[in-house]
Amino acid sequence: MVAADKVSDYRADPEIVVAYFRKTVPFDQLDEGVLRSLARHCKLDFYPKGTRILIAGESEVNFLYLIQSGAVSKYIVDAQGTDSLQDLRGEGQFFGALGIIQRSRANVDVKTVEDTFCILLPKRYFLELLDTQPHFAGYYLKDFSDQLAHTAYSELRRDKLKRRSFEDLLLFSNTVGDIVQRQAVTVDARVTIQAAAALMSEQRIGSLLVHESGRPGQIVGIITDRDLRVKVVAAGRALNRPVAEIMSSPVQTVLSQALCFDVLLLMLSRGIRHLAVEQGDRIVAVVTSSDIMSLQGNSPYHLFKEIISQDQISGLYPLAQKIPDVVRGLLKEGGKASHITRMIAIINDHVLSRLLTLLETELGSPPVAYCWLLLGSEGRREQTFKTDQDNALVYADPQNDAQRLQAKHYFTELAERAAYHLANCGYPPCPGEVMAASPRWRQPYSVWRDYFTSWVCRSDPQEVLNSTIFFDFRAGFGENRLADELRNELVTLIRRQDSFLFHLARQVLAVRTPLSFFRNFVVEKNGEYRHRLDIKRTGIALYVDVARILALRYGVRETNTLARLKVLADEGHLDRQLAGAAADSYELLMQLRLLHQLGQLEEKGLPDNHIDPADLTDLERRMLKESFRIFERLQTVLETIYPAP
Amino acid sequence: MYWLNPRNWFRRAHPLIVENRRYFSSFSRYIRLADCSFVAFDTELTGLDRRKDEIISIGAVRITNLQIDLGDTFYQVVRPKALARTGSTVIHRLAPGELSMAPAFEAVLPDFLRFIGTSLIVGHHIDLDMHFLNRATWDHLGGVLANPGIDTMRLAQGYSRWHQSYLFQQSTMESYRLADLSRRFGLPSYSSHNAFEDAVQSACLFLLLIKKLRAGGIEDLNDLYKIGYSR
Repeated sequence: MVAADKVSDYRADPEIVVAYFRKTVPFDQLDEGVLRSLARHCKLDFYPKGTRILIAGESEVNFLYLIQSGAVSKYIVDAQGTDSLQDLRGEGQFFGALGIIQRSRANVDVKTVEDTFCILLPKRYFLELLDTQPHFAGYYLKDFSDQLAHTAYSELRRDKLKRRSFEDLLLFSNTVGDIVQRQAVTVDARVTIQAAAALMSEQRIGSLLVHESGRPGQIVGIITDRDLRVKVVAAGRALNRPVAEIMSSPVQTVLSQALCFDVLLLMLSRGIRHLAVEQGDRIVAVVTSSDIMSLQGNSPYHLFKEIISQDQISGLYPLAQKIPDVVRGLLKEGGKASHITRMIAIINDHVLSRLLTLLETELGSPPVAYCWLLLGSEGRREQTFKTDQDNALVYADPQNDAQRLQAKHYFTELAERAAYHLANCGYPPCPGEVMAASPRWRQPYSVWRDYFTSWVCRSDPQEVLNSTIFFDFRAGFGENRLADELRNELVTLIRRQDSFLFHLARQVLAVRTPLSFFRNFVVEKNGEYRHRLDIKRTGIALYVDVARILALRYGVRETNTLARLKVLADEGHLDRQLAGAAADSYELLMQLRLLHQLGQLEEKGLPDNHIDPADLTDLERRMLKESFRIFERLQTVLETIYPAP
Repeated sequence: MYWLNPRNWFRRAHPLIVENRRYFSSFSRYIRLADCSFVAFDTELTGLDRRKDEIISIGAVRITNLQIDLGDTFYQVVRPKALARTGSTVIHRLAPGELSMAPAFEAVLPDFLRFIGTSLIVGHHIDLDMHFLNRATWDHLGGVLANPGIDTMRLAQGYSRWHQSYLFQQSTMESYRLADLSRRFGLPSYSSHNAFEDAVQSACLFLLLIKKLRAGGIEDLNDLYKIGYSR
C-alpha cells in the first residue's frame, strides 16, 4: 500500500456550520455539496450581550448574519432618540438580509440581548444564492412582508409529510367542483315516477334532481335509486304518481369549492350519500360518496361502513383498533389536524353509537330517556390517538320511586358494560374516573343541573379548575334534547354568575408562556420528561381554556375550540384577525402533537404529549414561538374583560 | 572534516524554524489583540504517553480580526510510525485503514508550519498538543516553534477568577473540559467529531473569553498573559 505523501488540499468542512445549514430554512433545501462549499466561505463571530452589531443608516452590511446561539433585537431609533423595538430574533434566525438585497446600509439597529454567536455568510455568496436558488428569494421576501406565520403552515405540511404518491393527495387537493363530471340531470316535479326511473336508467345515473314544475332553475328535491327501492317498489306505490311524492326535500348542498375531504366528512356525519353541488347560487351537479371514494382506495369510509354494519359488540373491538391506521393514512396524505381530529371524533361517535345500540338490544329499552355525554376533548371533538373515556350519562328525571329504581339499575348495567366494551375497543378508562360507569356521573337531569349550579356558584378555584372538562360536554348518543336543555341551563346560569368565569380567566392569566425570553423553550426540569415541552399543558390547553371562557361568557354553544373561535369572531366578540391567528396557531399545535404521537406509534411506543424542542425544525420552532405570542395577545383580551381586582 | 566545524556540531534547523525564531525574537507582548492573527489548533494522539505516543491528526483554523475564518483551515490525518500501537480507535474514530493510507507527519509538517506562520497559537490544554508538535518539529526540522500560545482552559480559569459570575458560584465541581465549558458558556452545541471540529470549538471559546475580557480592560497580549497563558 502506497501512502500519498504529497497533499494538496488541507481544507476542512466545518461540520458545525454544515449541520446548522441542514436544519435551517431555506438552506435545508440545498444540496449537500453546495452546503459544504458554502460553509467554507463563512466566518464565525461572537458578540457579547449589548453589542451593537449594525447601526441604522451607517453600517454597511457585508454579511448575512445567521444566529447560532443567543438573540438580537432590531429596533429603530427615532428623531427623539427613543428606541422602538421592531423584532426579536433568536437561534436559527437571521438578520442583515434586507440591507444586502436592497444594496443599502443597515435599515435598523441590531443589538445583542444575550451573548450571541453568529455564522457570517459573506454578501457575494448570499447574493449568488438569491440569484440561483428561486426559493431563496421567495423566502427572504416573504420574511420582509412579515407574513411568515400565516404562510408557514402550508410549508410545514409540505416539508414534514412525505407523500407516498400523487394520488394520495387528491382528497385534500381536489374540490368537489373538480371531480363532478357532468351537469346535473333534472326533472320536473310533475313527471311520473315511471318516467323519472326511465330517465335514470337511460342516463345511467343513480340520482335525479327535481325542479319546481315549470321552473327548471328551482331545484326542490332529489330522488335516488334508494328512494325508488324503498318508497316505490317496497311500498307498492303507483308508478304514475309524480316524483315530488318520493323526493327528499330540501336538497342538501355543498359549495363547489369545498374540499372533497370536507364533503366526505359531511356525508359521514349525516349518513347520506348524495349531495347537490352549488355554484354561484345555482345547483350544477350531484356528487356521491362513491365519486369521492373513487379518489381514494383504502379509506376511512370503509371502516365507517364496517362499524355501522357490525351486529356483534365484540366485532367492534378490532374495528376500533384500526382507527390509528386510518388516522395515520390521513395525516400522511396531508390532512389538517382539525380535519383529522374531526374525523376521529366521527368514527369514535359511530363506535359508541353502534355499541350503545347493541347494548340496548341486550338490555331492552331504557325505562326513561337518556343521553350519553362526551366530555373534555371528546366533547370538543379534539381527540388524537390517545383517547381516554371521558363520558357521563344524564337521564330524564324519573316520575316515581319505582321508575327511579328501575332507571338506576338499568343505567348502572348499561354504563358498566359500555365501559368494559370501550376498554376492549382500545379506549382506556379515565384515570380520574370521570365516566358514566362511576355512580356520581350517571345521574338524572335535576342532579346534573345541581352539579352545574354548584360549580358555577361556588367560587373555590380548585373546584372550578377540576370541573372544566364538564363544560365542554356534548351529546354522544341518545336523546340530544337532554344535552341541549342542560346547555341552555348552563348559559343562563353563567349569565347570572360571572364570578365563576372570573376564576377561570385568572387561572389562564396566571400562565406564563413557556419561553424564557425566547432563548430556549422552558421544558420539564425533572423526571422522565426532562428537557421536553408538554405541548398539551403549555400549549393546546391554553387555547382551549381561552376559547372555553369566551364561549361561556358569550353564550356560544359550540364546544370545539376552532368552532368557538369562529363563532366568537362572527359575532364580533373577538377581533377577526386575532381569532384567525389563534385558529392557525391552535391548528399548528395540534398538528405537531399528532405528528409526534404518530411517530411514537410507529415506533411501537405509547403516545404522549411531550415534545423535544430539539426534534423540531427551525420553522416549527419559529411557529411555536409565534403561537405563544398569539396566546399572550389572547391573554390581553381576557385581562380587559376580567381585570385583576 | 564535517565534524571539525563547530557549526555542524548541532543539527542545522530547517529554514522554517529559523525564520520562526527570528520573527518572534523581536515580538512585542503589547500588541493589541484585535491586530493579532491566531491559529486555533487541536490534535488527536495515539495516547497520552509524552515519549512514545504520536499525533495522528491535526486540525486548525485561523482567527483574523477576531473572527473565525472558516475559509482558512487545515485538517490532515497522518500516519503514525508505530501503526501497530494505534489500537485506540475508540477515542479518535479513525480507522486503522485510514491511518495507513495517510501521509507521514514529516511530509505534512512544513505545510502546517507555513499554515501557522506568525499567528499566535490557541488551543484547549495547548501544552499537550504543543509538546507533540514540537517533538515532531525537533525530530524532523531541528527546532521548536517560538509562537506564543494561549491556553483556552487557563483562560477560562482566569476568567472565572476575574469574573466571579453566578455561573461559577453555582457549581462547586467545575469541569474545564472543552465540552463542559461550551455548555456552561452557552456556545453553539457541537459534537466532538475530530481534531478540526475541536479546534473550531476552542476558537469559539477563545473568542467568547477574550471579547468578554475586553469589557474588563484586557486589550493586549500582555494583559492576557496575566490571566492565563501556556508558556
